[in-house]
Amino acid sequence: MHQGDHNWRGYVFVAPATIYLGLFAFFPMLFAAWMALHRWHLLKENHEFIGLGNFLALAQDPFFRNAIANTLVYVAASVPLGVITSLAVALLVAQPLRGVGLFRTLFYIPAVASQVAISMVWIWILLPEVGLLNSALSWVGFDGSRNYLAEPGWAMAALVAMSLWIGLGPRMVIFLAGLQNIPEQLYEAAAIDGATGWQRFRHITLPMLAPTTLFVVVTTTIAAFQLFTPVYMMTRGGPRRTTDVVLYHIYREAWQKFEVGTASAMSYVLFAMILLVALVQFRIMRRSMQEGAAA
Amino acid sequence: MPTAATGSHRPVLATLVVIFFALPAVGCREDAEEGVKVLRVANWGGVQVDSEFMRLERKIREEFEQLHPGVRVRFEQIPGPGQYAPKLLMMHVTGSVPDVVHLDASSAAVFIDNGVLRDLSPFIERDADFDLEGYFENVTRIAARGDRLYAIPLDFTPMVMYYNKKLFDAAGVPYPRPGWTWDEFLETARKLTVFPEGARAPTQYGFNFENQPPLWMMWIWNNGGDLLDPEGRRATGYFDSPESIAAVQFLVDLMTKHRVAPHLTESAAAGLDLFRAGLAAMDLKGHWMIIDYRADQMNFGVVGLPTNLPRRVTVVYEAGLAVTAHAKHPDLGWEYIKFMTSKGVQVRRVASGLAISGNRAAAAEFAGNPVEDAFLAEVEYARPPWGAKVERFPFIEDLVREMLEDILYSHGKLPVSKAMHETAKLIDAALAH
Repeated sequence: MHQGDHNWRGYVFVAPATIYLGLFAFFPMLFAAWMALHRWHLLKENHEFIGLGNFLALAQDPFFRNAIANTLVYVAASVPLGVITSLAVALLVAQPLRGVGLFRTLFYIPAVASQVAISMVWIWILLPEVGLLNSALSWVGFDGSRNYLAEPGWAMAALVAMSLWIGLGPRMVIFLAGLQNIPEQLYEAAAIDGATGWQRFRHITLPMLAPTTLFVVVTTTIAAFQLFTPVYMMTRGGPRRTTDVVLYHIYREAWQKFEVGTASAMSYVLFAMILLVALVQFRIMRRSMQEGAAA
Repeated sequence: MPTAATGSHRPVLATLVVIFFALPAVGCREDAEEGVKVLRVANWGGVQVDSEFMRLERKIREEFEQLHPGVRVRFEQIPGPGQYAPKLLMMHVTGSVPDVVHLDASSAAVFIDNGVLRDLSPFIERDADFDLEGYFENVTRIAARGDRLYAIPLDFTPMVMYYNKKLFDAAGVPYPRPGWTWDEFLETARKLTVFPEGARAPTQYGFNFENQPPLWMMWIWNNGGDLLDPEGRRATGYFDSPESIAAVQFLVDLMTKHRVAPHLTESAAAGLDLFRAGLAAMDLKGHWMIIDYRADQMNFGVVGLPTNLPRRVTVVYEAGLAVTAHAKHPDLGWEYIKFMTSKGVQVRRVASGLAISGNRAAAAEFAGNPVEDAFLAEVEYARPPWGAKVERFPFIEDLVREMLEDILYSHGKLPVSKAMHETAKLIDAALAH
């Protein structure tokens, strides 16, 4: 055996992944950076180099600012609520109860369904008068005529509510895994010391779950910044641009206005925002983990 | 040993390579069929359901295939609201656009002004059996740029005012007549509104307003205003002119002050077409609604739009047929257009109630029917939609729709004139970019 053959085979093994990532991830990323520096309309011949012109224009663009604000609202609402509800559900289905396997499966189902199909179901749930939600509300004597997806404020709330339900399963599974990694002796020792259920949760479960929580918070945040399908399906950014989030805005800029130059610049702004928020989250969580360890 | 092993892998690798490169070709098998020319025709709309109209379309297509042996017409339906133009433009960029496309007047400019379509005038000049005079001039000029023509009209509709005769008769109100004014319209709408004492909202509206700019921009024209300057380059000085502002104020008042039209929340809450449901007496729509109204057996009439001008204005929405610049079979495409817009085919297609034929001889076949006559009478008052001239108009429509939402949801806090001045500047920025 000589060394050369080994190298050759190694390259063959990594070739598919390398080619795939190179063609469909790294090359587009670099190309988008190149386009972001140009005035680049997909249907026009000449692409004028304008340096940071696109980014400067974005800073002035009220619609892009609105999209960023909407995205931040969505992230700020859906991430904490999503993490808390999935932790709560994980704690419940971690109990050794009868039929808990069934519940775990049921809670996970939305994660394997197509988001397009889920959106269709939610449109139907939220219909005025005849929708599931409004019918239920009017049965118990509340106003059942609200068109949630057509009213500013309510549309964003509906998207947040739906996100809790879609993301519940995967987050729950990760929390479950984290919960099962906490040594039972800690709880036994705490019980002997007379700790209440809340104290055990606050001083054992939460600190021991911190790495899991960090992972869940960061991945949920990244996903929340990239909200697209439900907006595309359910609200198309409306009513009154209140659900026009950054990714949907980029989609419109690139594939309806064909301004791929500005759309690429927007993508880089979104990338920077996600990176920044993720870094801050890492910082905060690491500090709280250290404090937890010190306490 | 390693050498032998690598050697024995070669056939496997070769097979994989062959599969990898051969796979994409499988999808194209149809095009490569021996001796068959496939003419690709793009149209908007979803999956073809087995309706009577679809059966007719299929039959017409087969007749064309019989006239041209060795040719197969392949329909490519593009579903989804607002997806048609972006998808076709993308296909144009990637060189895979169909030979013939249906062209919607409201989004024609982006196709015409970006070299997506072929100029049809050389075909017309060469072709002895085709006479452009046979088509409505007001409609053909939608896709014209100087001497060049990019589409032949298939069918079209001017926007008109529909009224429900049953509701008019019940209220003892005379039917509206062409040339009526805004004052007469408001008076009529008032008489047809039923607002019981103590009710939160009217139980019957005089007019069904929907905040879709293609359905209401003509009000601005009928008050002497416009959205853009005649060249379509700017909105300031036009959209924020006193005439335009007064027109939008009138529409807002219909909903908020006179309460003769449903507020946006009221129509959203109703979740149905109030006019079709018999809960609104008048509605501003196009010819296509006749299919539904006939199915409902509604007793309706049609009249031109009310105006404050000596001569009323309306908009004409149209579907035309065009040959693409990258078409594989441009001559065959032209033959297809000629066939589809011919009188024989047109008479059968528009009998469904869909629209008015762009072919004058075919349209004349339906004269004598009072509704069709009322529609035909409006053709001479019709102007092309701005989207036929201004590439970015679909986005301007978004701005205008959102502006009216802002005004209505502000409950009087956002004055119409302020909103329109601001929006005019936003439109200018969108046009300048």
